[in-house]
Amino acid sequence: MMDASYATLAAALQPFIAIAAAFTLPLTSLMVKKKEALDGFALTVLSANFALSLFVFIHLYLVCDKPLVYAFGSWPPPVGIVYEVDRAGALVGSLISGLVLIAAVFSVGYLKGEERVNLYYTLLLGFEAGMLGCVYTGDIFNLFVMLEVMSVAAYCLVAFHREVPEAIEAAVKYAIVGSIATTAYFIAIAFVYGTFGTLNMADLALRLRESYMPISAPFLGNVLLGSALFLALTFWAFSLKAAIAPNHFWLPDAHPAAPSPISALLSGAMVKVSLFALMRYLFTIFGGAVKVAPVVQALNYALILLGGVSALIGSLLMLTQRDLKRLIAYGTIVNVGYIAMGIGLASPSGLTAALFHLVNHAIGKSLLFMASGAFIHVAGARNLDELAGVGKRMPLVSASYLIGALALAGAPPLNCFMSKLLLLVAYLESTWLTPVVVIVVLTSALTLMGYLKAFYHIYARQPAADITSKRLPASMLAPLLVLASLCILLGLTAPLFVEHVVSPATSSLLSVQEYVSAAQSIMRMVSGG
Amino acid sequence: MTIESFLQICGYLVLAAIMAISLYGIVKGRSLIKKLIALTILGDAANALIVYIGFRFGAKYPPVLPSLTPAPEDISWFVSVAVDPVPQCLVITAIVINMAITMFLVFTVIQVYRIYGTTMVKKISRLRG
Repeated sequence: MMDASYATLAAALQPFIAIAAAFTLPLTSLMVKKKEALDGFALTVLSANFALSLFVFIHLYLVCDKPLVYAFGSWPPPVGIVYEVDRAGALVGSLISGLVLIAAVFSVGYLKGEERVNLYYTLLLGFEAGMLGCVYTGDIFNLFVMLEVMSVAAYCLVAFHREVPEAIEAAVKYAIVGSIATTAYFIAIAFVYGTFGTLNMADLALRLRESYMPISAPFLGNVLLGSALFLALTFWAFSLKAAIAPNHFWLPDAHPAAPSPISALLSGAMVKVSLFALMRYLFTIFGGAVKVAPVVQALNYALILLGGVSALIGSLLMLTQRDLKRLIAYGTIVNVGYIAMGIGLASPSGLTAALFHLVNHAIGKSLLFMASGAFIHVAGARNLDELAGVGKRMPLVSASYLIGALALAGAPPLNCFMSKLLLLVAYLESTWLTPVVVIVVLTSALTLMGYLKAFYHIYARQPAADITSKRLPASMLAPLLVLASLCILLGLTAPLFVEHVVSPATSSLLSVQEYVSAAQSIMRMVSGG
Repeated sequence: MTIESFLQICGYLVLAAIMAISLYGIVKGRSLIKKLIALTILGDAANALIVYIGFRFGAKYPPVLPSLTPAPEDISWFVSVAVDPVPQCLVITAIVINMAITMFLVFTVIQVYRIYGTTMVKKISRLRG
């Protein structure tokens, strides 16, 4: 019991630590001007958060698989805000905090000579707080707040190079589109509150199954209409945040415009948060509820259709790109499509494939963006023609780029091959959706062509004469090697990883009973009943 | 249909119309400033919708319990006459968040003006080439 309360605290503390550090850092930087001190501060906080998230992960996987519930201010679940972390949340949470830590290590070298280091780290910490809050929260409205914390930090980070015209333009576009999406989610909250009279996820899941916690009031309106409006708006909002076609148009502008470690986080972590929120709604809360089954089914088919379309659009447009980071950003749209297709299958095997691909793509795409950041840092240009031959001077970076590219395209021993294989198997198991596998195979081949075209330009072409031979700092190389070895390691140990990590996470996403009973037990503990 | 429910439906329709107009403004606005104004209107319409959902005809009392040690019948009387406070809390939070986003957008629009010398969307895309 003691151990569980420590783990619960560890989960609840992470967003708090990140946000507290984000507010402390600008004040500290008034006194401490040295960049090394700020680097050290940010890295310490992010490592502490990573350690806490690993503690939560280990607790949930090895000690006790009951979801951890933290009630803020000891207000019991249907009344107060709760954090509820199950295995899936712990998996995605530790993935996010790990990626943020790696990106921060990369930033140490990347920010050399940059003036506004304090603002950068402030935003990075706020970004982490938002993402972790979104994943851990068990409250519908708190999800909106954390989504906004994450989004505002992301808009500002995209506009970080504020003197660059493309960056500021991409930030305006991204902020307008993103805040329409979050407003849509806010309107969705109005419908769910008007219909069910609750904002707690566990309570909502219970009410959809015709029973509710003490304290909260009975139904107020038409359940099917209210849930349909809520789900439709939520689906639209999160599909926009996750860049599922046709809402992908902002991504190829916004992700490349950010500083490279931030591009890695936007593509690797932030998009995943929205997909995870979709999984939470479509499976844990609304999945299996008989009353709203037709709506959920329709949304699942929509996910399959739109996922397939985004995979096709992303891979076709990727081939025409001349800008390295833009090319990689289109690759994100392809992979978001795969994950959406996995979710839309609404079967345990499809969800397992989606979750595993989510992890793999987060690692592979971060690797690619950081490697391209290293090339761009040395060459000082983003265009493929100007990057010609840079890779020859940096064999280790080129090797990790190649590993990341092959992994994302699905070359056999690497990690994404395994998750794509799971996705294919899941589709082949289904009765009439089997032809969809053609899309996965075709787009994989197209993305391989895209990534290898970029690799050809970077590595095989004659270097332009005027490339200065800047040295790459060790802090930029180490993250690449870590991520590249993770790609290989996850590929080689994929069967074990899926069996012991991803499948339990899938079953925790699907087990409504456990999710609800964990919240109810807190309710009983607090009210003494 | 009672007059109350008729008025309530009218309120929803008005809010839906405002949202539709503001979305049109965001998509079709020629200047970034106009897009920004339409965006704040959309946010305010969403806030108004949430307050509206908490609204009840005939609720005269603020959501404060009349006594410190209420009996069960006190509570049931209170629930039948008081306004639901939760939507108002949600709206307060959302207003603060909207302010943060508006601040950011205003700053970026100023920055766009500094770089391009205009906030008209078409001219910006032409200047970029």
